[in-house]
This record gives sequence, C-alpha cells and structure tokens, in this order.
Amino acid sequence: MTSELSRRGFLINSAALGGSLLLGGGLTGGLLSACSNNSSPEPTALPTTPQYGGRLRLGIIDGSKTGDLDAHKPLTTGAIIRGFALYSKLWEWSEQMTPDLALAEEVDVNADASQWTIRLRQGLEFHNGKTITADDLIFSARRLSDPALASPYLAYLKWIDRDNLVKLDERTVRIPIKGGIGLLSLPDSWVNFGGIVPQDYHPVTNPVGAGPYKIKEFVPGQRSLFTRFENFYKTGKPYPDELEIIDFKDQTSRVAALLSGQIDMANALDPEQLIPLKRNPKVNVVISETHGWNSFDMNLSQAPFNDDRVRQAFRLLVDRQEIVQRALGGEGRVGNDIYSPLDPTFNHNIPQREYDLEQARSLLKQAGYDNDLKVTLTVGPGLTAVAGGSPAGLVLAEQAKKAGVTIKVTQVDAATFGGPQRNDWQFSTNSRLGGSFLHTAAMVDSPISSANKTHFDNARFSELFRQAISTTDLEKRKPLVHEAQQIQHAQGGLILWGFNNTLDAAGRHVGGLAPERSHFPTWRFDKLWLSS
Amino acid sequence: MESSSKLAGHWSASATQASDSGKRAGLTLALPAWLGWALKRIASSLLGIIVISMLVFAATQVLPSDPARTILGPEATEDAVQVFREKLGLDQPLIKQYWQWISRAAQGDWGHSIDSNMPVTQLIAGRVNNSLALVASVLVLIVPGSLIAGVFLALRRDGWLDRTLVASMIALKAIPSFAIAIGLVMLLATSVFSIFPAVSLLDPNRSAFAQPQFMILPALTLVVATMPYLVRLVRGAMIEVLDAEFITSARLRGLSKRVLIWQYAIPNAVIPAIQAIALTTSVLLGGVLVVEVVFTYPGIGSALNAAVDIRDIPVIQAIVVFLAASVMTVNLIADLATVLLTPRLRTRPGKEAA
Amino acid sequence: MSLLKPRFLTSQAGLGLVISLSILALALLGPWLAPHSPVALVGPRYGAPDASALLGYDYLGHDVWSRLLAGGFSLVWMAAAASLIALAVGTLIGMTAGFFRGRFDQATLWWADVFLAFPNLILVLLVVAMLGREPWLIVLIVAVAFLPGVIRLSRSVTLGIAQLEYIEASTMMGYSLPRILLREILPNIATPLLIHLGTMMSWAVGILAGLSFLGYGVEPPAADWGLMVNENRAGLQIQPYAVLAPAVLVALFALGTNLLAEGLGRANAGIKEKA
Repeated sequence: MTSELSRRGFLINSAALGGSLLLGGGLTGGLLSACSNNSSPEPTALPTTPQYGGRLRLGIIDGSKTGDLDAHKPLTTGAIIRGFALYSKLWEWSEQMTPDLALAEEVDVNADASQWTIRLRQGLEFHNGKTITADDLIFSARRLSDPALASPYLAYLKWIDRDNLVKLDERTVRIPIKGGIGLLSLPDSWVNFGGIVPQDYHPVTNPVGAGPYKIKEFVPGQRSLFTRFENFYKTGKPYPDELEIIDFKDQTSRVAALLSGQIDMANALDPEQLIPLKRNPKVNVVISETHGWNSFDMNLSQAPFNDDRVRQAFRLLVDRQEIVQRALGGEGRVGNDIYSPLDPTFNHNIPQREYDLEQARSLLKQAGYDNDLKVTLTVGPGLTAVAGGSPAGLVLAEQAKKAGVTIKVTQVDAATFGGPQRNDWQFSTNSRLGGSFLHTAAMVDSPISSANKTHFDNARFSELFRQAISTTDLEKRKPLVHEAQQIQHAQGGLILWGFNNTLDAAGRHVGGLAPERSHFPTWRFDKLWLSS
Repeated sequence: MESSSKLAGHWSASATQASDSGKRAGLTLALPAWLGWALKRIASSLLGIIVISMLVFAATQVLPSDPARTILGPEATEDAVQVFREKLGLDQPLIKQYWQWISRAAQGDWGHSIDSNMPVTQLIAGRVNNSLALVASVLVLIVPGSLIAGVFLALRRDGWLDRTLVASMIALKAIPSFAIAIGLVMLLATSVFSIFPAVSLLDPNRSAFAQPQFMILPALTLVVATMPYLVRLVRGAMIEVLDAEFITSARLRGLSKRVLIWQYAIPNAVIPAIQAIALTTSVLLGGVLVVEVVFTYPGIGSALNAAVDIRDIPVIQAIVVFLAASVMTVNLIADLATVLLTPRLRTRPGKEAA
Repeated sequence: MSLLKPRFLTSQAGLGLVISLSILALALLGPWLAPHSPVALVGPRYGAPDASALLGYDYLGHDVWSRLLAGGFSLVWMAAAASLIALAVGTLIGMTAGFFRGRFDQATLWWADVFLAFPNLILVLLVVAMLGREPWLIVLIVAVAFLPGVIRLSRSVTLGIAQLEYIEASTMMGYSLPRILLREILPNIATPLLIHLGTMMSWAVGILAGLSFLGYGVEPPAADWGLMVNENRAGLQIQPYAVLAPAVLVALFALGTNLLAEGLGRANAGIKEKA
C-alpha cells in the first residue's frame, strides 16, 4: 500500500514546495521550501539577526468566548492560536498554507487515501520530558475523534477509524479511514487542532504538549502566559523566554495598546486601522495575501434561489471590485465564486465572472421577477466583512437596487448567526480561512459538510468530490476537481466575491515576522523574536 | 447617561419617607425598631434576587439560540452538539434546570462556565475584585470630592463660579460615558499626551490596587460621568438646608456662620447625600459595563457582556445575581444609615423607608 | 398651569428648549433636506469633505452629512416613545398605588424595587441580546427600565395630595376612579412628572447611544447617530467628522432635554417658594 505512486501523489499534492515532505531532516524542510517560494520582499529596516530572550506579547481579538487550552477542541480562534504555542502537530502550515511535515518524519498514504501510515521523528519530547511514542499518537488520534469529546470538528474527524488504529512500531502508526472513502485532506484538518499529547493529558489540569512554549498560566478571556520549551524539536528555537497572549474585546483599544507599547504584536487588524498604523514609524505592518474568502451564501432549498436564473443574476449584479474596495478597504482581491486558488488542482481556466447588470436584469425577468424581488440577507455581528459582519451586505444591498432587487439586511448576534438556524437563512454572509479545495469543500458544500448553508447538492459534484478525496495522485485528481469547480461556478450557491488580506502589525523590534500566503505570520511562535 | 437614571428612585424614596413618616406614628417596637425592619428588608431583598434570577433564566431560554451550539460553532455536527447539550444538562426540562441551579447556588456551587468549563466562582472572583476595586476608587474620589464641592458651591450660590460649574456639570452629565472614555483615551493616552496606558491589562495575579496605572483612565471616566450628579445633589441639599427655617432662626439667634454650617447645615445635608451615594454606587456597578469594554478592563461588566453574547447562562446568572445583591445591599445600608441618622425616623421606621 | 407662565422661561430652561427644539427640528426635517440618500454609497470610504459632502464620507462611503440629517429621527422617536410609555404606564400604576395604598401599593413598590436593583443598561442589554434588536422592542424595554422610577415618583406625589380635602370630596361624591385619577389627581401632579419626562429623555438618549456603542442598537444600514459613532469609531483618526458630528448631536440632545428638565424643576421650585 505504500506504493511509489501514492508517495508521489502526496508529494505533488503538498505543493509547489521545493523540498520534499519526506525529508528526514525536518527542520530544514519547511524552512527551505518557504524561502524558495516566498516572493514577498523582506522589509529592510527591520532587525535581521535572531536574538534570544524577552517576553513576546501578542494581542488577539477573540470575540466573546473565553476559549480553552484543549488541543483537540479549541473553541475559538484564540484557542487555536494558543494551541500553536502549546502543541506541535504531525503537520504544520507552510507559508503557502499547505501542510508540511512537523512531528511526523514520514507519512505514507495509499492510492485511495484510506490508509495512512505515519512515522514520528526520533527523540521527540513532551514538555514534561517524556518521549513521544506511537502510543501517544494513538491516544491523541483517538481523543481527537472521540464523539464524547464533542469536538466541533467531528464532522470531519469522524471518518478516522478510531477503533482500528494500529501501532506498527514504537514510532509508527497506521490510521485507517472508514466509510469506504479516502480522506486525502486529513493533514489540512489535523494541522490546526491535532496537537500530539501524552496519555495522561488533561486540557485543564495537565495541558502538556510538544509545542515551542509550555503553559505557565491561563486566565480565560484575559491572558495566557507561556515559557520557552528548552527541548523543542526544532533545536535552538523558540527565541523569547516567554510568550504572552492577551485577549482584547475591542479593536480600537488593541491598537492603542500596540501604539503605547503594551503589546508587541496584533494580528488580523481591521483595514481602517492600517492607515494610521502605516504612518507610524514604530510599527511594522505586515500584509499577507491569503486565500481566506468571503461570500454571500444563497440557500438553494428556498425560493428564489432554487431557480438557477436567479442565482446567476445575483452573481452578475455583484460589483465585486466595489465590495472589495468598500468592505475590505481595498485589502483583498475579487473572487470568482470558487475557492482555494492556491490549491494545485484549482481550475484557473474558468473565466472571471464580470459585473453585468443588463444580463442580471434579463435573467431576473425570465425568472418572473419584475423589479419586485425581495430577499433577506442575514449577516453576522460586527462591522468587519472578514468576520461575516455587515459591511459587505450593506454594499450589496445598494448594488442590488440597480437590478431592481430589494435586499433587507438583518444583523444577528453570534449566538444566533451560528445557532440552530444557521443553515436555514435564505441568504447570508460567510467568511472562511483559506485551505485546500478538498478540505474547504468538506466543510462548506460537499456531501460530508455539516454547515452547508447553501444546501448545494449536485449528484455529479458529490460523485466527483468522493472520487477526488480518495485519489492520491495529483494528476488524476486534477480533472476531477476542475469539473467539480465548473459545476460550482455554474450552479453553486456561493457568491464568493473576494479574498481578503490578513493584516498584522508589530512593533519594529519584533523579528521573524514577514508576509505569507497563510493567515498567521504572527502565530509562528517558533520563528518570532525580539530585538533589544 | 445611565448614570442618573436611578435619580428618580432616590427622589421618590426621600419623598416617600417624608410623606409617610407622619402616618406611621404609634408603631413602636420593644427592640430597636429598625432591627425588625432591617430583617424584613433583607428577606424581601432575597426574594427579589430569586425573582431576578428566575427572570434572567427564563430570558435566556426564549430565543432559538442554543448555548451548546453557540460554543461548538456552526460546523459541529448535530451529534456533537447533542452530546455536549447532555453534558451541560441543557436537555433537561427548564424547571429542573432552574431548580438544580438554584439549589446548588444556595450551597455555594455556582456551576461551571459553559464556555471555559471553569467554576463560575473561580472565573468571576478576580473580576469581581477588579470591578469592586474600580468602583471603590471612584467612590473614594467622588464622595469627599462631591461633599466638599457641593458645600463650597452652595455657599457661593449663584456666583459666577457656581453658575459656570453647574452649567458645565449639566453639560458633562449629558455626554454618554463611552464618549467620555474615548475622549480621555485620545487626550491622555494616545493622540495628545501619552501619560497613561490606553488599555487596562491588569496582571491577574496581583490586586488591582497594586497596579493603579491601569485604573486611572477607567476611574476618571466614571468620575466624570457620575460626579456632576453627586455634586449638584449635595449643593441642592445644602441650599435647601441653608434656606430652612431652623437655620434662619438660628442665624437670627446670632450663631456664628461657622457653627451654623458645620453643626447644623452640613449634618442635615448629608442625609440626602447618603441616598445619592447609594444610588451612585449602583449606577457605577452598572456603568462599569461600557467602561470595561472600552478599556478591556477585566471586570464583571466586560465578562457579562461576553457571557450574554454566547449565552453562557451560569456566568450571566452569577453576575446578575451579584449585581442585584450588591445594589440591594447598598440600598439597604443607605436606608439603614438614613434611618439611624434621622431622629424623627429612628423610632418609627415605616416600610416606606424601603 | 404654572408651566405656561412666562417666568418659567428661566435662561436655563429657555436654552434647553431652544436646543431640544433645534435637534427635534433637525431630526424631523432632516430626512427631507438630505442631499443624498443616507444609505447611498456616494464617495470613497472615509473620504475627506468635498463640495458634495460637507462632512466627508463614512466607513462605507455614505455621505456623513446626509446620514446626520437622517439619523436623528430614530434616536428622537425612540427616546421620546420610551419615555412617554414609561411616563404613561408608570403614572397610571403609581397613581393607583398611591391612591389605594394597602396591599396593591406594597406589591407595586416591591416590584419596582426589584427592577431598580437591575442597572438599566444591563437590563436593556440582556433583553435585547436575547430577544433581538427590533426598534419597538428596544423602546419597550427601555420603557420598562424607566418604569420603577416613574411609579415611585407618581406614587409619592399622589400620596401627598390624595388626602387633600377636594380629593376626598370627589371620592365621597361618587366620582368614578378614572375620573378622580385623571381629572382630579393627574393635573396636580403633572409638573414633577413632566420634569421627570425631560430627565428620562436624556437618559434614554444615553442608553440608546450606549446600546449602539455595544453593538446592540439600531440595525445598519439605518442612519442613527449612536450607530454612526460606533461604525466609524475605528476611523476616528482618518475621518473624525464621521464620529464627532453625531457624537456632538447626541450630547446636544441629551443636554437640551436635561437643561429643560432642570430649568422646569428650578422654575417650579421658584413658584413654590413664592406661593
């Protein structure tokens, strides 16, 4: 089952990466590939030689939830960020937002992606000094996929055949996938919240991992303090002695804290804050062109969006460039109603859908609407488009007027937006982090999605998805994905109007921070350092 | 903004006392009369708190917003949400849930936060301390400050200083507290001067009092928002006393101005001030909400705002009960103090002192 | 009624009246005077003032001036409605309680006290967060938050005059309860209640603006002064007018109603003194 073919498939799948995923050296693998691919220029005035010591302070906005430390059930973005400090995973994100090997030394996957053989690096250690073994890996995989844990990501992880994990030797485990399908995007989903933890792990009393930092103190909703893990598997890293992650409730006060030196870094800023920050000589603004995307989701199970012509009309009446300008403050690029442009299987041959008011009007007329179509757009809380908030919807409502469509924008709070009615909105905003095609589809509009707000259910698309997710060979998978994306583009329920940049800022004394195609240059706690 | 909204309560409370005190004559108990009254008040307050907790509990159940779903997020499967719901006991009948909550709360177990799974008491203890520290610092500033300023202005009634200050206090009172907060941040922390930290990043391991630099701006905001009311009330009470007949007659008897003010006027003006301080305290307890959000001050106000947002019922309940109990306690103490300090009420406090 | 005497127009109340009426006029007439639709996207986001936009553009590119003109109405009507509802309902309950006294009075007072133990903003926030942010609901809950104050006030002033001879006389003459309450008692307690109405208006403005600030107020894209402050706050340094202009108007409106109430109170006290 560990065929050459599958190896090659996985290799190619995992990117345009220069180096090999199966590189034994580990440390060099990720870095080399990153260097060779990162075209963004390094700002010159910033310090360049890493220094040890100090306390690195990151200010995050984490909504109203306080979050937790659970490696496998991070309930907020903040919890995932803390997880990046506390836990190491089998894979880590490359700067291109593809999974690179991390704790895993070698991953073999069979041709239909139904068997994964994973070998850990040698001599790995947990924070408590214990060696990481295959038993810990099995424990972690079982905990991760445990229905009783009620992990929010269970929709995805339930495909792991947790009762039939096989320990091949002290460092090697075989993970079968059940349900007769492959799960080619396993690394994508494992990389965010799949920390490898010891068998006596407890998220509250014993949050031990193998990440660059050990927990020292955690005050939910306020701050968490970490200390350097001396035996981190990337020798010599991390650089600072301590890491502090501070929760803010308000963007404006976080910027004030950055400007007054109370924190060193702030991630995911609002676009309006860039203008004053860019002018400030003490601040280094880092703009990462991610493929995190923003959409309006049309519910295909309800009128009027059960009519193909209405969906087409809506996709044509959107002036994407204007929404990017107004709702994202110009910090983004227009989208073409399909996601994952960085995925090697992405179909670049589909022409960009252009703004066409006439065509939209005529389609609406054909569908029987004569300037009298009214729809309700439900938007999430807040004023940032990147969080699914109101601005994009408000701009759209104005644009729709020109096509004779009345869009009533209704803003609901987070608990309602993601609550029991979450898949029943007629028309709603959505905003997601970038990821591979298969992973995103699995979350958004594939047959295995549990948050299919569009109710997109196309027999041919489902078949293509099932085939693709079980096809390790990139060249064989490409045509499948291409056709699937064509279907999405022609008949799907997403108006994917734009990709947003991730905007981070740090004091100019923070080193190791550079733009990426990923969302999280500020979460790379093994790379960041402070100059004195 | 909200700062003055309990004024009516105060106003009518004193009016009530005045109008009722005459009619309740003849009801004198053997024990200090106020003791029985105070016990009755405490019982009534406890009942009030239970009613409030029931109302809050009912309110959290109205919308189709499932705390389990909210915590796990939109992507969680229905199965996972169901498992979590059972774990939290949310699948039980409403009355049973409430009964379990209140019977445990009575024993000091306020449950666990749905969100962070920490014991609620542990979660909010530090925040309660922080908020109380803030409220206490504000009170320490405004109570003596208002008494002095109020008396001072009353003695210079209708002078230019009095008129200017009264007018500017009316103007200050009109500014919403978030606007004051933003203005102060711009003035003292970011845009004009950078003297104080813009954000209150308290070290959770130390008392808020040990980190006064973080309390200055939030406290200042609350001082600006509440002090005008208190100053003007003291000023008004003082003027009223100065105009009262007994002062006029004392003046006619030739008592010195100093004696008049210190021995007659001020002690009598303090009584309405007590009620006003109680009122200000309860307004502060509510006013911390906005200020804590603006300054990211880790207190109960910002915790409540967050808990409401995600329907973290045990946390909402605990904070609301705490706030209600605090307000009731403060009112009780103030009423008690009023009763004890007012000779004519001391022997026959009617229920209307409530 | 004493209110109509010219001497009530002390300089303070006069100023309050002028400010309140100006804001009211702006709020009522503004929507017709606005050069642009308040929701139309007519300029660059956070654009600086130019010939067609006196105060520049906001976070999406709406004309700030047009939104300012259109944005007073919601605040004014909601503040007025909440205060008036609280006044009407509270006065009725308070008068009844004060007139009958006894058990009904005790129960009413107890409930009023329970609600008084809830800081207003927190009560409103709780309910709006749970039940949604429809304007009528916000109005209603702000009114409920004001009720205890009105009840206590109207009850206590009613108590004061319920024993007066002419009221007892009307009772003996067998007048109906509504007649006694509305025709005999109400006119005599109207002045303190009207003063309280002014005070409530300025609190309502504060609460509504604070609610918008916390993100629970009027729904976008509606133009609303409180909401405008909130949605443009992040751009304060780039386009300050978008925040400062509505903030000033909110403060002015609160100030006007506040001054008016104060002035009325003062004039009333003056009249009493003379009497």
